[in-house]
Amino acid sequence: MASQTAATRPPPWRDVRILRVAFQLGAVVAVCAFIAYLYDNLTANQRALGIETSFDFLDQQAGFRIAYSDFSPSGTVLEAMLVGLRNTITVALLGIVLTLILGTLVGIARLSSNWLVRRAAGTYVEAVRNVPPLLVIVFVNSAFLVTLPPIDEPEHVAGLLLTVREIGVTVPQGDAGVWTYVGLLAAALVAAVALARWRATVEARTGRPARPWLWGGGLVAVVALGAWFALDGPIVLSRPEVVGRSIEGGVAMGLPFVAVLVGLVLYTATHVAEIVRGSILAVHKGQTEAATAIGLSTTQRLRHVVLPQAFRIAVPPIINQFLNLTKNTSLGVAVAYGEAMFVTRTVIGNGNPAIQSILVVMAMYIVVSLIISLVANLANRRLRLVER
Amino acid sequence: MVRRGRVFTYAALLSVLTVVGAACSDDDDSSADREGEAGEEAATGGEGGDGGGGLLAEVQERGTLNCGVNETVPGFGLVDEQGEFSGFDIEFCKAVAAAVLGDAEAVEYTPLSDPETRFPALQSGEIDVLIRNTTYTASRDGGEGARFLATTFFDGQGMMVRADSGFQSIEDMNGTTICVLAGTTTELNLATRFAAAGLTYEPLTFPDADALGEAFAAGQCDGWTSDLSQLAGQRSAFPEGPDALVIFDDAFSKEPLGPAVRDGDDEWASAVNWAVIATIQAEEFGITSENVEQMTTSDNPDVLRFLGEPVAAEEGAEPEPFDPGLGLEPDFAVDVISQVGNYGEIYDRTVGPGTPLGLERGINAQWSDGGLLYAPPYR
Amino acid sequence: MGLPTEAVGALAEPLAPVPEPEPPARNLTPRQWVRLNLLSSPLNVVLTIVFGVVAAWVIFRLARWVFVTADWAIVRVFLRLFMVGLFPADQLWRLWVSAYVLAATLGLTAGALAAASAQRSAATPGERAGGGRTVEASTVESAVDPGRHDAGWTGRAVAALHRFWPAILGVVVVLSFTRTPLPAILTVGLVALLVIAFAGGRRLPAGGRRWVWLALVAGIVASLQVITAGPDGVGWDEWGGLHLAVAATVAGIALAFPLGLVLALGRRSSMPGMRVLSTGYIEVFRAVPLVTLLFVGQYMVGFLFPTSVDPPSFLVRAVIAITLFEAAYIAEIVRGGLQAVPVGQVEAAQAVGLSPPKVLRLVVLPQALRAVIPAMVGQFISLFKDTSLLSIIGFIELIGVADFATEQPRFQGEGLRPLTFAFVGFLFWAVCSTMSRESQRLERRLGVGER
Repeated sequence: MASQTAATRPPPWRDVRILRVAFQLGAVVAVCAFIAYLYDNLTANQRALGIETSFDFLDQQAGFRIAYSDFSPSGTVLEAMLVGLRNTITVALLGIVLTLILGTLVGIARLSSNWLVRRAAGTYVEAVRNVPPLLVIVFVNSAFLVTLPPIDEPEHVAGLLLTVREIGVTVPQGDAGVWTYVGLLAAALVAAVALARWRATVEARTGRPARPWLWGGGLVAVVALGAWFALDGPIVLSRPEVVGRSIEGGVAMGLPFVAVLVGLVLYTATHVAEIVRGSILAVHKGQTEAATAIGLSTTQRLRHVVLPQAFRIAVPPIINQFLNLTKNTSLGVAVAYGEAMFVTRTVIGNGNPAIQSILVVMAMYIVVSLIISLVANLANRRLRLVER
Repeated sequence: MVRRGRVFTYAALLSVLTVVGAACSDDDDSSADREGEAGEEAATGGEGGDGGGGLLAEVQERGTLNCGVNETVPGFGLVDEQGEFSGFDIEFCKAVAAAVLGDAEAVEYTPLSDPETRFPALQSGEIDVLIRNTTYTASRDGGEGARFLATTFFDGQGMMVRADSGFQSIEDMNGTTICVLAGTTTELNLATRFAAAGLTYEPLTFPDADALGEAFAAGQCDGWTSDLSQLAGQRSAFPEGPDALVIFDDAFSKEPLGPAVRDGDDEWASAVNWAVIATIQAEEFGITSENVEQMTTSDNPDVLRFLGEPVAAEEGAEPEPFDPGLGLEPDFAVDVISQVGNYGEIYDRTVGPGTPLGLERGINAQWSDGGLLYAPPYR
Repeated sequence: MGLPTEAVGALAEPLAPVPEPEPPARNLTPRQWVRLNLLSSPLNVVLTIVFGVVAAWVIFRLARWVFVTADWAIVRVFLRLFMVGLFPADQLWRLWVSAYVLAATLGLTAGALAAASAQRSAATPGERAGGGRTVEASTVESAVDPGRHDAGWTGRAVAALHRFWPAILGVVVVLSFTRTPLPAILTVGLVALLVIAFAGGRRLPAGGRRWVWLALVAGIVASLQVITAGPDGVGWDEWGGLHLAVAATVAGIALAFPLGLVLALGRRSSMPGMRVLSTGYIEVFRAVPLVTLLFVGQYMVGFLFPTSVDPPSFLVRAVIAITLFEAAYIAEIVRGGLQAVPVGQVEAAQAVGLSPPKVLRLVVLPQALRAVIPAMVGQFISLFKDTSLLSIIGFIELIGVADFATEQPRFQGEGLRPLTFAFVGFLFWAVCSTMSRESQRLERRLGVGER
């Protein structure tokens, strides 16, 4: 139909091409007009009640503190909201990593040959999956409140300092010469990789085992130990201790942060476990049978045949779960964790205009979600099955 | 076959229209339930923002008062297992209803435990009056589209700590963790007070007093700051007994609690204001719910005027009931006192020494007893 | 047209799938079972010991807490508020009547649907047009799904127990907290009505099945009217508790579905303008948490209306926010379904001469929507869990009731918060677990049914 002469072209009011363009234009104009109308109403109503309509409040003093942060009451509202955003991102990133680990383990456990392990994982998934995440977080928080010791009688457990207010983690800290050490280690790593590669080619050429892992690992170990003694221990352990009413040293995590993190991880891991389980089951049975037939052990089969294929199927739904986890951090308000939504509610409660504050925090969530979505989709594209 | 399909389609369409029609008609019918009220508010509710007013007439026509209250604060606004509301603020809702409608029970309570929704509810006309232990501040008066009326409870913000913590005053509490409720003036006052004293602290802000109490009992924070009336109530209910806790004497701030109405409707504001003031005035005159009938035959012309009894406006004039032009019945005070009681009765019934809260009158006494309650003259 | 009769006869024979012979059943002795499932390797032995100890400890502590140390009086006292919020106690009969009406119509619809799908999966190509079931068909059906042959009443009861045990447990637990036997009697009556309606729906003739949809709509309208009509009627704003959660979920999904459908079609449209608008909407609303939208609803929606119109009530605003939020997710789900419809179907429909709207309505949408039913149920469950957020904006929803239950003077300060939240969590678990199990069952069945 591309070669229509002027004589056979339909009249404009029946020409599909013109109609399509007109329709789209009309739709866009209608939507814009509707939004403009709503905005007009919004500002008119606000003005009538004497409520501020600008975003100037962002530059005013916040007047409140945020727990476990450096934010002072003389900081601006905008800075407060950015602190909230930072807290949200912290929980989101840590949560994503932990959820992936826990969810994969539980998903594989649900397919274990051990009946007890299978049932335990299944019970956990079925129980926690059907409860709202808000309740999971509140439960975890209550459980912590009941079991953890008070601040003046802390308990040391495996490098952790447990109190009901904060949990301290022993972390390595750089002393003098730490950067030299790190540099030496990095160099040793590169050399070890090259060494291992060479040994692997030797093995392929001669057919005799040449143990590339042993050579490479041995090199790194020798350098690590030698440099350590030469530099006189450049890394020390920073131990948390209770000083006054809080913890100093190490990394101290406030209990609200831990409660939100643990609660969200426990909840989201159930969904990830289901996705992983479904994707492993979706891998064709013939693959498993063929792998067993050529003599791969269970671990080898999982690692080389099943999991790579399973993950390709699983990645898009798991990305979705990551986004859900990021959005569910907004539940931290129930346990006094200072994430973005919490700060926004405090800002509103202290008399700042509500609508503008919410729009700001919505914009923050949109940006964070889009970034996570972009990064994850990039990873997905690389993992995707490249078909002929 | 095709025809049956047509009939079926028309029948389905008809039933869908019925659903829509039913949904819409529910909004329009003038029944006593709240759905009906939403429809009627259309006529006059929105005009409140223009300064035109008319909310008084609308409430009287509707027959019920929409009161925004708290439902989780013992003594001030609490709902029980029967769904019944009770508390200090509830009583004042009833007083306003008695004054405006003549019936103290003609109230629809809107639970607003979430502090962030209280002003939007008022601004949008969802509620007629907000009586929800809300502090009267300049920014709320200016920026929230609200108009605050007579203070019913003069409170202050205080700090409560464990008796065995060794803290004697706020100056001892450097570097401590303090539990506070979200979205209230409490957070701001806390920050100001600690900054003025040059102290640092970690605030743990909870959305409701329940979560806060749990955290405080578990030792998650060293101090609990809130309105002194709240602290007294929580202390009396503390699982380890009230003696395990100590409330500091010095108050951080002034917290005058009172009702609020939407900006722009002066007639409604005056009506509500005087309904509240009537309870204070009644206590000053010594009128209680028991003796209000007798008091209508009192010798005191001020009492007679207050109760709407005929009284001579000036020497030699015909006695007639005094109507200050509030839009209320001249004897509205009688309705208020007889159905609800005077300020003292309300106080003793809800937060007084005989209740679990056990609050003394303190500055919430009449001016003649050294307190701050001072009713403007009713003339 | 001159095919030999024997060939025609051969073609007319049903191409029934040959049922695979079942492998011989392994009858393991308990000892063998233990060795196989628990102790098959050193790693398994370790795992069994570790998990066994942990599981035993958890079960013991949990059972002790639930049955011995916890004082459930608070739940008993507040049961009505948990179930229906501040619904006036003297109008509760409306809820029961509404529930009975809904049970009758839903049972009828479910029965008709079951009969229709059974007919569809059992009938062979040659018999589908006739709409009847032959002896061979039922043999095939029972061979393909061996568990479906008519067992006795006890067999069916046991099967129902196995299928619905979370819901049954939930109902039993809730009824155990009631003070009079009346709710229990009414519940038994409700279940009986549901079963009878289901059986009745199955027996409906094929022609009558179309009217079942009409009956469904009428039933829903009637059940709503029963609650809200009359001078003592209880408007939506007074609903609360579990009742409100269910109602908000149903309303949210029902209202969001048309919008989501439009958005999905818009996103796949060939017109770039529509694509941009739809994609923009979907991406924005999927990127924000529901909490922010609920707040926007509370604060902003009231101001979006001109001053001459009354602003909607709090509940309506919340439902608007939920609808806009869910529409974006439903759009994505429907889009997945639309992608799953093979292009060949569209091309064939166009070749037959159907106009684009007819192609959509008759060919694409039925297949697409049928494919996404499990995902839609999943979204329904997710929304039901999200209604717990309504308590954050102040509704008397389950968590809100839990909050002020523990503020009562007689219950204050006794550490009863975990109890009330455990009860609320259990209620959510019972409802969501039932729905997700049904959804999984549906997924399995749909997989079996496809060619």
